[in-house]
Amino acid sequence: MNCRSEVLEVTVEARQVEEAMLALLHTILLHRSTGKFHYKKEGTYSIGTVGTQDIDCDFIDFTFVRVSSEELDRMIRKAVSEFKDALSNSGSDGMGQISLEFYQKKKSRWPFSDECIPWEVWSIKVNVVNLANEQERQICREKVGEKLGEKVINVVEVINRHEYLPKMPTQSEVDNVFDTTLKDVQPYLYKITYQITDSLGTSVSTTMRRLIKDTLAL
Amino acid sequence: MAHFDTEYQRLEASYSDSPPGEENLLMHVPEGVKSQWHHIENLDLIFLNTSYVYNLHQKNGFTCMLLGEIFELVQLLFVVGFTVFLANCVDYDVLFANKFVNHTDSSKVTLPDAFLPVDVCSARIRNNAFVIFVLIISGVFWLHRLIKFIYNVCCYWEIRSFYINALKMTMSELPYATWQEVQARIVEIQKEHQICIHKKELTELDIYHRILRFKNYMVAMVNKSLLPVRFRLPVLGEYVFYTRGLKYNFELIFFWGPGSLFENEWSLKQEYKRGGNRLELADRLASRILWIGIANLLLCPVILVWQILYAFFSYTEVIKREPGSLGARCWSLYGRCYLRHFNELDHELMSRLSKGYKAASKYMNCFLSPLLTVVAKNVAFFAGSLLAVLIALTIYDEDVLAVEHVLSSITLLGVCITICRSFIPDKHMVFCPEQLLRVILAHIHYMPDHWQGNAHRYETRDQFSQLFQYKAVFILEELLSPVVTPIILIFCLRRKSLEIIDFFRNFTVEVVGVGDTCSFAQMDIRQHGHPAWMSEGKTEASIYQQAEDGKTELSLMHFAITNPQWQPPRETTHFISQLKERVHREATGAPSDTHPMSLSESEPRSLIANLLTGPSTLASVHFDRDISLANHAAAGINDGGSALRSLSPISSSLHLRGSLSAAHRAAGHTSRTMAGSGTDARTVSSGSSAWEGQLTSLVLSEYASTEMSIHALYMHELHKQQSRGEMSRHTWHRQESDESSDSIPDEVRSEPILHSRNFPRSHTFPTTVPSPSGPTAQSSSQRHHSGPTTGTYVFGCLHVCQWEDGQAAPRHHEPLPEESSEDEMPPHIHKVNALSFCVYCGLHHILCISACILPLGKKV
Repeated sequence: MNCRSEVLEVTVEARQVEEAMLALLHTILLHRSTGKFHYKKEGTYSIGTVGTQDIDCDFIDFTFVRVSSEELDRMIRKAVSEFKDALSNSGSDGMGQISLEFYQKKKSRWPFSDECIPWEVWSIKVNVVNLANEQERQICREKVGEKLGEKVINVVEVINRHEYLPKMPTQSEVDNVFDTTLKDVQPYLYKITYQITDSLGTSVSTTMRRLIKDTLAL
Repeated sequence: MAHFDTEYQRLEASYSDSPPGEENLLMHVPEGVKSQWHHIENLDLIFLNTSYVYNLHQKNGFTCMLLGEIFELVQLLFVVGFTVFLANCVDYDVLFANKFVNHTDSSKVTLPDAFLPVDVCSARIRNNAFVIFVLIISGVFWLHRLIKFIYNVCCYWEIRSFYINALKMTMSELPYATWQEVQARIVEIQKEHQICIHKKELTELDIYHRILRFKNYMVAMVNKSLLPVRFRLPVLGEYVFYTRGLKYNFELIFFWGPGSLFENEWSLKQEYKRGGNRLELADRLASRILWIGIANLLLCPVILVWQILYAFFSYTEVIKREPGSLGARCWSLYGRCYLRHFNELDHELMSRLSKGYKAASKYMNCFLSPLLTVVAKNVAFFAGSLLAVLIALTIYDEDVLAVEHVLSSITLLGVCITICRSFIPDKHMVFCPEQLLRVILAHIHYMPDHWQGNAHRYETRDQFSQLFQYKAVFILEELLSPVVTPIILIFCLRRKSLEIIDFFRNFTVEVVGVGDTCSFAQMDIRQHGHPAWMSEGKTEASIYQQAEDGKTELSLMHFAITNPQWQPPRETTHFISQLKERVHREATGAPSDTHPMSLSESEPRSLIANLLTGPSTLASVHFDRDISLANHAAAGINDGGSALRSLSPISSSLHLRGSLSAAHRAAGHTSRTMAGSGTDARTVSSGSSAWEGQLTSLVLSEYASTEMSIHALYMHELHKQQSRGEMSRHTWHRQESDESSDSIPDEVRSEPILHSRNFPRSHTFPTTVPSPSGPTAQSSSQRHHSGPTTGTYVFGCLHVCQWEDGQAAPRHHEPLPEESSEDEMPPHIHKVNALSFCVYCGLHHILCISACILPLGKKV
């Protein structure tokens, strides 16, 4: 509950799913990444640089900016393509939701595993449509481009608001806030999950977890 | 040129992924270091579990909590183990001396003789399937409790470090800190660390909402009579059955059980927020209730055995020690739900109800059945004479005790007499139920409309006993609960499933940073106000949305008074200040209206005056004590004086009802002594400020509860008049009830304008009421000291004290006549330690305290 949640909704054609998702996720991550921290001596650090890169979409009339980090791109691409596959395999009416969750880690004592406490969740709801002819596809191509442009502005607006961000950590705690596994960039710890409409309700694992937690917290 | 070259080369040489010279340009200091507090990331968890923070405070710190929980676990083991031991391992024949034990050395029977050998014992246990069954069930139950305990300890450990590191309170000082202090620190912390990321500042209401999320729902459901707790039984008539087991099941179904309406601790499941498939959801809920009911039915024997054992072990000792405790009463579980305000914490409710306890039990004792009394008197006589003989014989020669059954008959006779005595009314008691009920109302704040004026009737008493039941009945209900609960669940609650679904859909609002809460708990009079409870014209609620019994309005007042720092929304502020103003104005207007002249009028113009005088029958009740009361009143005006506008008339009213005319006669005396106390107050207020904050906050909270009592009484009074007016208009003029709702404000507005100037709009309690020159303010001495606001404060405090303990304070000035002993006085308000303490210390100390309040009062 103690986390912001933002919802974006897009309606795209099946072949545009991947690019649209990449565009939005990368836009968000661009603003939620910093350069690598270099801790000098106790108490101070300097921040490395972050490169950016323009990416042109093939199926949409749209260009977006992303962090020029191959590793990050690979990870996001992997998640998005999984989502795309799941979406096309689901056979349902093509609704799905991919969410990007930023969290902080909390170290726990021995019997419990580390706890992840989200502080911001971006949910992108995707609605896939099938188009009949090339004419419509062409229109769709432009319209989706415009829509994505709006969404990007929307994202920037949200991020520009002066709202809660985790405080800058000390060297020992940096792993609890930032993802330090990447060589060239340091985004806030994030997690990408997706749901296809069928399972939007309750999945078995969450129910079980709830059950156990409830029993404990009587 | 050369310069240019070197620059170029340096760039080449020091190339890395960060620009050169960055070390000197961009140095950052992580914020984590500055706060020496490493729990930033825990805050989220802590904030989710604000209720844990509250619980830890209520349980007086970590160690107490830990010990309590451990003992609970041990107790459980003990109960089971001891019962099994008693049932299987004791040779009762030896104990009862039916069997001869042959000892070689002595003829004495020792306790170990009565124990069966271990192998026999274990064999007996092994052969008894039922015992094994009970053991297994209780083992599972115990393990469950153990896991829960470990989990809780981990959670509370976090909270403990939150207290120590974030709130800067050690566990040792926690028991002595009030919740208001803790809460203020949490609000402070939010500004610094932003625990809740949604908003910059936390309000008190947010914290209350988190702690009381589910309780507010329960209160609202009881308020809207949604829960099946009232039953019409063939013999008993209307009966309220609401036990802990039933409550547990309700909570299990609605809030946290598997498949409950709530997704997690803070949000209702999405599908329940939409009205689309309510029928389907209702079906699902009904079937869930059915299953839980069946599970209850299956577990019934186990729970029943458990309840009986538990009751036996926890109450037997008490009953043996003081058999009267079964005749004592307690606030029933239903009563606690019915009387609870929205957003009222446990300790606030408990202190309120405890204060009303004395008056409530007095009220109930008014209604002893005469038939029972006659029987009880005679039974007590016979039992008493037997007992007397036995005791006399025992005193003469204690060998009498060795005779079989003498000791047991002495015990039995004692119990019998004690029970009988509880049916014999106190000789010195005066039958004044109406008045008692009003004192009760001042504390419990709620009562159905039809009680007013019917306090002497048996129906009222019966209904009140639903809120205030015999302890014995409470225990009996708890014992019956395992059997009755499944029946209620399966046959009554299941039918209501659609209503429940609708309730949760209609009355859930999502508050940013808090989650889903009950919309009643927002205390928004526009949405949930009841036109008959002062929110006429302001409320837009349909009948379905209105909270019954003025719950919204009273809760709002209660919350605003207990949390003076709280900034309500603008409309709400308007309502609060308007109401306060009215009360103040009424209070100031009262003395003039309680003049004998207005007493004789059939309908007093001032509501407070009506409050003061009460039904005219009361005057006769007190007539015989009129003289003593006159003295009392004079003393009251001595101390509190008419300078105290916000409090005195009402507070003294609780003592002086019906005899204010006498007080006026003594006014000459009053004004003379008042000058003295005034100077006293001022010197003290300028001099001392060294009193502990602890006491101050206690006194302040006492203030708050007093003010709330006044407001509750006032609102009930207004409601009564309003509904009466509405009724008469409805019958005589055949008007729409909506139109008549304007009548009351007019009536109130027609109060003398003389007193209505400059009333404070703020809703803080020790208000700076500039004393208007009322009728008792003719004397110059009074005007002399009532000008400065300090004087008013001092009198305010003083008068509260005096109200709390009617005798001690006046005695300081002139001793009261003998006959005004406590029994014969009009019902008292329960004393509070801090205050009675200050009364004992004498008037000067009181002045000190009030002086201490001054800065605080100004600040808030």
